Amino acid sequence: MASVARSGREHDNPAAAPGISISGVCHEYRPANGRPVLALDDISLEVKDREFVSILGPSGCGKSTLLYLMGGFMPLQQGEIIVAGKTVTGPGPDRGVVFQNFALFPWKSVRDNILYGLEKQGLPREERLEIAQHYIDMVHLSGFEDSYPSQLSGGMKQRVAIARTLAIKPDTLLMDEPFGALDAQTRSLMQEELIAIWNRSPTTVVFVTHDVREAVLLADRVAVMTARPGRLKEIVETKFADAPHDEIVKSPEFLDKVDYTWNLVRAEAVAADAEKAG
Amino acid sequence: MAGPSTNAAIALSLRENGMAHWLRIGFYKVGPFFTVTALLLTWELASRLELVIAFLLPPLSVVLLRIAEDMVAGQLPLDIAITLYRTLVAFVLAMVIGISLGIVIPRVASIRWFFDPIISIGLPMPKIALLPIFMLWFGLFDTSKILMVAFSASFQIIITTWSATQNVEKELIWSARSLGASNRQILWEVIFPASLPQILTGLQIAMPVCLIVVLVTEMVMGGQGLGDSMLRSARYVDSPGVFAGIVEIGIVGFCVIRSMELIRRRLLVWHQETQKEETTV
Ligand SMILES: Nc1ncnc2c1ncn2[C@@H]1O[C@H](COP(=O)(O)OP(=O)(O)O)[C@@H](O)[C@H]1O
Ligand SMILES: [Mg+2]
Repeated sequence: MASVARSGREHDNPAAAPGISISGVCHEYRPANGRPVLALDDISLEVKDREFVSILGPSGCGKSTLLYLMGGFMPLQQGEIIVAGKTVTGPGPDRGVVFQNFALFPWKSVRDNILYGLEKQGLPREERLEIAQHYIDMVHLSGFEDSYPSQLSGGMKQRVAIARTLAIKPDTLLMDEPFGALDAQTRSLMQEELIAIWNRSPTTVVFVTHDVREAVLLADRVAVMTARPGRLKEIVETKFADAPHDEIVKSPEFLDKVDYTWNLVRAEAVAADAEKAG
Repeated sequence: MAGPSTNAAIALSLRENGMAHWLRIGFYKVGPFFTVTALLLTWELASRLELVIAFLLPPLSVVLLRIAEDMVAGQLPLDIAITLYRTLVAFVLAMVIGISLGIVIPRVASIRWFFDPIISIGLPMPKIALLPIFMLWFGLFDTSKILMVAFSASFQIIITTWSATQNVEKELIWSARSLGASNRQILWEVIFPASLPQILTGLQIAMPVCLIVVLVTEMVMGGQGLGDSMLRSARYVDSPGVFAGIVEIGIVGFCVIRSMELIRRRLLVWHQETQKEETTV
């Protein structure tokens, strides 16, 4: 189904390359009272079709900002972002977003949260319920269908948010630290689950994280950002042979990449701290 | 009012055990009744022991007897019904006007241009000062009373709805939009339910305002109801009648406010405040 939609769009615009193309993007926050903050400075990044790219950087370097711009939630001040051949001008269900703070509807039960996007797609009721249940089971929340978000732990809320986004089968997935609130064990289960889903139906994924190991493990490439104002520091190739996660993490190539990337990020984290102190 | 502090105290006490724990729970549960009972008992005694002149403060028992008599005679139920009718009609009117304007004003520039100054002036103003104008324009019957009351109460509702719908977490709106919701759907399916707790708070503040203003309009314009009956007792120098009126108003007010709290709890089952109460008590 997803591939039909995708080839359809290529017909609309045969010249454009699928994937994501970010060129010369800057973003400055201008709070009503306070100094303007330059969050992103001249970011250019190409994400290939069905590629899994991680964006890694110290907290406050503009990762969420970049993701919001790809989502079309804020107007672009400078530069251009093209997703699957279309210039981004606003939000849309072609790009599924998992927000850092979950952004669940607190007045809706787990099931109704997941059903919301499916209703907007106009699927018949039976089918909606079936899809919702499938994703509830997938994120191991069976038995909590009728719970409200305020009754769930942080990790459970995060899983609802992920299920809600995956359920609408977006062509592009934009995830903002989606596993940040999970405990180590659930986190690695969810990481494997995400990769399994991605292997079954590959989509273009932009995965924001500040966890070096997670970025290196999951992504094909890791884009390391500098401390504020966010610039692109380096792109690290992190594709490993197809193997279970617990084998990959023991391989010397993996450990080397983690070490290399870790050093890149640490330099920036130190810079960020120095800025705060000074 | 069983406020959050009482509940927090109960929650805290659940962690302790033994006698102290039960005493404490008993204390918090019985506390409000104790205060009220002590007050009423003082009232009765002060009057019986002739510490005050019975005309200025008739004994509680006399007042209660008077309430019972009025109840049997049928005048009291009628007065209560009339006062409640005016209060509720005016409240619903204020709610409809208040919520609609509170939603529209921040979203339509021309409407904001028109209403912003009116609300800035009207909110802090004692609206009851306009009562003579309402009497001149709408007469002395229910219309003028209800309009006066709705007018007094709607500012609070406009303001709370306005600020609540403007301050919805942006990620909530963004996620609805990226799931495919239209602007209209975002207003009704996201902004409105997200603002509901604060809107209900505004309504809970507006309700006692309605009751107060209804009583004042009844006292000024007559036309039956608790306010009218109380003022008439005062005019006939019927001191038990005046105090009966105060007790009746107290009870009616308490019931109305309690019902609002119950409705709030019903509507906000999903909200943390509701769940805390369920788990601790
Ligand atoms: N609404 C805002 N107004 C002003 N500054 C903001 C706003 N949102 C974010 N910022 C600033 O922009 C920078 C980047 O923020 P963000 O994209 O959230 O970083 P990250 O997700 O990498 O932690 C931070 O320094 C933050 O303080
Ligand atoms: Mg962030």
